[in-house]
This record gives sequence, C-alpha cells and structure tokens, in this order.
Amino acid sequence: MCLRNNLITLVYGMVADPQLSLDLPSDTPFSPLVETYSQIRLKREDNRLFLVLPIQRELEQELSWTQLWQELKHYLQGREKSWATGDSVSLIAQDQLLDVQQLQTIAEILEEVDLVLETVVTTRRQTAVAAATGGYCVEQNKLSQLSLTPDVRTQEATLAEPLYFNQTVRSGVELRHEGTIIIFGDINPGGMAISAGDIFVWGRLRGMAHAGAKGNRQSRIVTLQMDFTQLRIADSVARYPKFLPKSAEPEIAFISEEGISLAKAMDFAKTHEFSELKAVWLDRQ
Amino acid sequence: MSRIIVVTSGKGGVGKTTVTSNLGAALAKVNRKVALLDADFGLRNLDLLLGLEERVVYTALDVLAGDCRLAQALVKDKRLNGLVLLPAAQNRNKEAVSPDDMKKIATALAKGYDYIIVDCPAGIELGFRNAISAAKEALIVTTPEIAAVRDADRVIGLLEAEGIHKISLIVNRVKPKMVEDNKMMSVDDVLELLAVPLIGVIPDDERVIVATNKGEPLVIGDHDCLPANSFMNIAKRLEGEKVPFIDLMSENDNILSRLRRIFGG
Ligand SMILES: Nc1ncnc2c1ncn2[C@@H]1O[C@H](COP(=O)(O)OP(=O)(O)O)[C@@H](O)[C@H]1O
Ligand SMILES: [Mg+2]
Repeated sequence: MCLRNNLITLVYGMVADPQLSLDLPSDTPFSPLVETYSQIRLKREDNRLFLVLPIQRELEQELSWTQLWQELKHYLQGREKSWATGDSVSLIAQDQLLDVQQLQTIAEILEEVDLVLETVVTTRRQTAVAAATGGYCVEQNKLSQLSLTPDVRTQEATLAEPLYFNQTVRSGVELRHEGTIIIFGDINPGGMAISAGDIFVWGRLRGMAHAGAKGNRQSRIVTLQMDFTQLRIADSVARYPKFLPKSAEPEIAFISEEGISLAKAMDFAKTHEFSELKAVWLDRQ
Repeated sequence: MSRIIVVTSGKGGVGKTTVTSNLGAALAKVNRKVALLDADFGLRNLDLLLGLEERVVYTALDVLAGDCRLAQALVKDKRLNGLVLLPAAQNRNKEAVSPDDMKKIATALAKGYDYIIVDCPAGIELGFRNAISAAKEALIVTTPEIAAVRDADRVIGLLEAEGIHKISLIVNRVKPKMVEDNKMMSVDDVLELLAVPLIGVIPDDERVIVATNKGEPLVIGDHDCLPANSFMNIAKRLEGEKVPFIDLMSENDNILSRLRRIFGG
C-alpha cells in the first residue's frame, strides 16, 4: 500500500495561517489502511435480527475464541439498545468453527442484553452439528440468501446506520463499524476507532481514530479535544506534532490539499467544501 | 454478606501481591475475617510476602482434587486473628485450574469469611480469567507510569465487559519529588485517564521492600509509617469509612517548596 505524502496542517481562520508541517518518519510500520474488514455486527433484515460474525478466511490473522467473545461482549454492551426484550436472534456464524460450549457462551452474552439465540446459520458442518446438539435451529449454507456477499457488503458501507458507543474506548479495544461512529466518552491511548464513515468523539481523542477506512477521503474526525497518538483518514496518516499546544476548542480533522489538517470544528461547515474533482476539502475563500 | 475482591493490574510488578498481603492484614486488624486467595499459579509468592511459606502443606489444587478439605489447606496467620491464606500450587501450570474451579473455592470461602481477596497474576489470559471469575469487586493497582496505566485501562475494560462494575483504583509507588519536578504522572493524571474512583495512594518507600524481604506485612510490623498508614486507610475506606487522603506532596515539603506552592509556583 502506497501512502500519501503526509503532512499535518493547521487551518485556523480565513487567512492562510502559519502552516506547520511534519513529515512522518519513514520507519513507522503500517498495516494496510484501506481494508475490507469483516467484523461483528448486528443487523435487521426482513424483520429478523441477525448477529453476523466475521468471516475467518477473510481475516488477516486468525481470530481466537477469546478475542471473539471479548469483542462480542464489547460490541453488544456498548450498543444502544435497538431491540425489544426477548427478541430472537439468528447467528450468522459464517465459517467460524464453534462447539456446543462456545455457542452456549454466545447465547449467554446475548441473554445479558435481553436477546435470545434461536437460529444458527453456518457454512461449517461441525458448527451445524454443535448447534443442533445445543438445541438451536440450524440453517446450513444459506449465506447467499442473506445478501451478505462481499460486493453487497461494500455497497452497504455507506448505508450502515451510525454506531452509538456509550462508553470510553479503553486501551486494547478496537471499535470497528461500517458507518459513522459516535462515541460518548474518550478514546484512551491504546484504544482505536475504525469507521468507514465519520468519527465523532464526544470527549477526548487520545488514542487512534481512522475515518473513511474503506477509502472515503471525504470522511472527517471531530472531537472535543484532539490529543491523538495517530489519526488516519482514508489512506492518509498523521501524528500529533509534539510542539503543538492542545486546543481548548473542539477540532475537526479532514483531508486538505496539504494532507490531514486540523481546524476549529465550529466554523468548518461554513468555511469548507469537498471537491469531488481533487478529492480534498477546500477552503471556500 | 462477604465480599469477593480481586486485586489486579494487567502489568506485572506493580504491587498486586504487596497490596493483597497488607490489605489482608489491615482488614484483620480491624477485626474482619479475611481469606487471601493466591490465584497466581506457577508464580505464587503471596505466602512468601506473608512469611507463611514454610507452613504451606496443601494448595488450592489439592482441595480441588479432593486430596484434602478446604479447611485443612488454609494457612492461619499466627500474628493476626482471622487472617488465612489459601496457597496456589507452585509446580503446576495455570491450565490446571478453570474459572469454575476458582468460583467453587471462593464461594466456599465466602461462607466463613468477611473478605475474600484474590491476588491476580499479571496478563489477561486464563490466569486472569480464573482470578476474576468469582469476584464481585476489583481493586486496580497501577504505578504512575504510562505502560502500567495503559494496562490498567485495558483491564478495567475487560472487567466491565465481565460485568464487574465496582472498581476502585490504587496508585502505588508514587514519588512526590518526581511528580513535583514533572518527571512522573500525578495521581490526578492517572485518575483523569482511568476514570474510576480512587481508594488509595501508596508512596514509593523502601520500608515496603524491607518488609517484603522479612516476610512481614508492613501493617503488622513497622506499622507506624506513611506507607503502612496508606494500607490501613484503604482497609478503612473498603469498610465504608470516609478517610481523607494523605497529602504526599506535603510529606516531601521543605520550607522552600512549600513557599513556592503558596505563591503559586
Ligand atoms: N510502595 C512501594 N514502595 C517500594 N517498593 C514497592 C512498593 N510496592 C511494591 N514494591 C516492590 O515492587 C516489587 C513488586 O511487587 P509485587 O507486589 O510482587 O508486584 P506484583 O504482585 O504486581 O507482581 C516488590 O519487590 C515490592 O517490594
Ligand atoms: Mg504478584
């Protein structure tokens, strides 16, 4: 993956302010930035509630069971409750290998948020057998019917509903969502939010945020206080310049002609517009 | 109702075992019945810090295997009435125990003791899950260092996901002089980041190390010193008493630095 030449620019006020630029050291290791990630998500289709697990073979690293249940817990408990108590859920287990015990654990995690595991949809025979043993309804190999094929999922990216996360993203937590993420809390150092759309942090951004993770350069990151270790928008990366004092005001990060830039969040909508042609935000002046 | 409390941190060497032993002794001093549960299988040393090493006969594993009764395995502290230790096995690995096993033991202990305090191993793997499985509350121990605080943050997240929401913070090994010189995070910095209630601040003090080497918790031996008082205060706060925090900064004061502070320096 080729990274753009990375600068961080400050855009304050109408006049061209002194621009601080900072090149990234070349030895910074990067994982591919624009990825088609698969992740855990809850979605409604035809009035059925689906809990979709990541597809193991599409993941770069194997997702261990421990990681899976931890992510599942975080995902469900951080979510705004958009379902009724006792709603039944179909688990789209994809190609994940799950035994009876593990299915039971998933059922318990769902129970904690008042959901009932009813059906298991899987492409693996062993998982189907385990599900049947555990007393769940089983659907094998019916993935195509669920319109969850890769192309459709990419299109969905822009359509995914915003994710409200009602707590601080603590160290070690990676919050991923195929739409805009709204965090009511901080992102702590070591914590990460990755969104295909915009990211709003109603608190301090001290960890990492990656907006437009599927390549949308129009994506923005807004926070009450910028104090990040690293910011990414689409395929651009920026670090917080060491010599830059923290602003007391909410700020917005976006891609300008100079790379990732920061500006006062307050005025941004009035002062900037996105140029489809150049694929950057331009000052209206 | 007895309280099952896990002492945990994520990072190793920040003072979990030191806190567990002193807190156990401190609670026993205020006439509580306390069972300390060493969950650091393979790397146990709670018995060492308590000076009970040579009296260990059975371990938690023997209890689980049915080789002895729970009461037989408990090592009583002769210096303090009401304080007992259930040692971890030294020779076998962590995989020998499951979260359910730990729950069984802690629940059984809860019938006879006011406090069950679990000394958690470092890390967030199975040993951690074992240690937290029975706990209803947690004490997070951290030092004012970036790496320790970050691990503490991670552990708080995991505890919350496990449904343990009663979490308090102990900041250990604070060096007032370094904080004053801006070379160390202050307790406020740590609190601001972790956002859980503070229950104790313990200064970095060589008397803690001396006590460790003697196998005698500070609150039993050299009990009239600042770090020993800090441990006693944590016990009192657990008991619901409102104890003001000792101003470590003033301990470190000489007239000059006090003047500086008064004049806004
Ligand atoms: N407040 C303190 N002042 C000085 N030394 C301390 C203090 N707290 C702990 N130590 C020392 O730090 C080391 C590690 O402590 P320990 O309790 O074994 O950590 P953990 O159980 O978290 O691995 C020990 O040698 C102990 O004596
Ligand atoms: Mg220890």
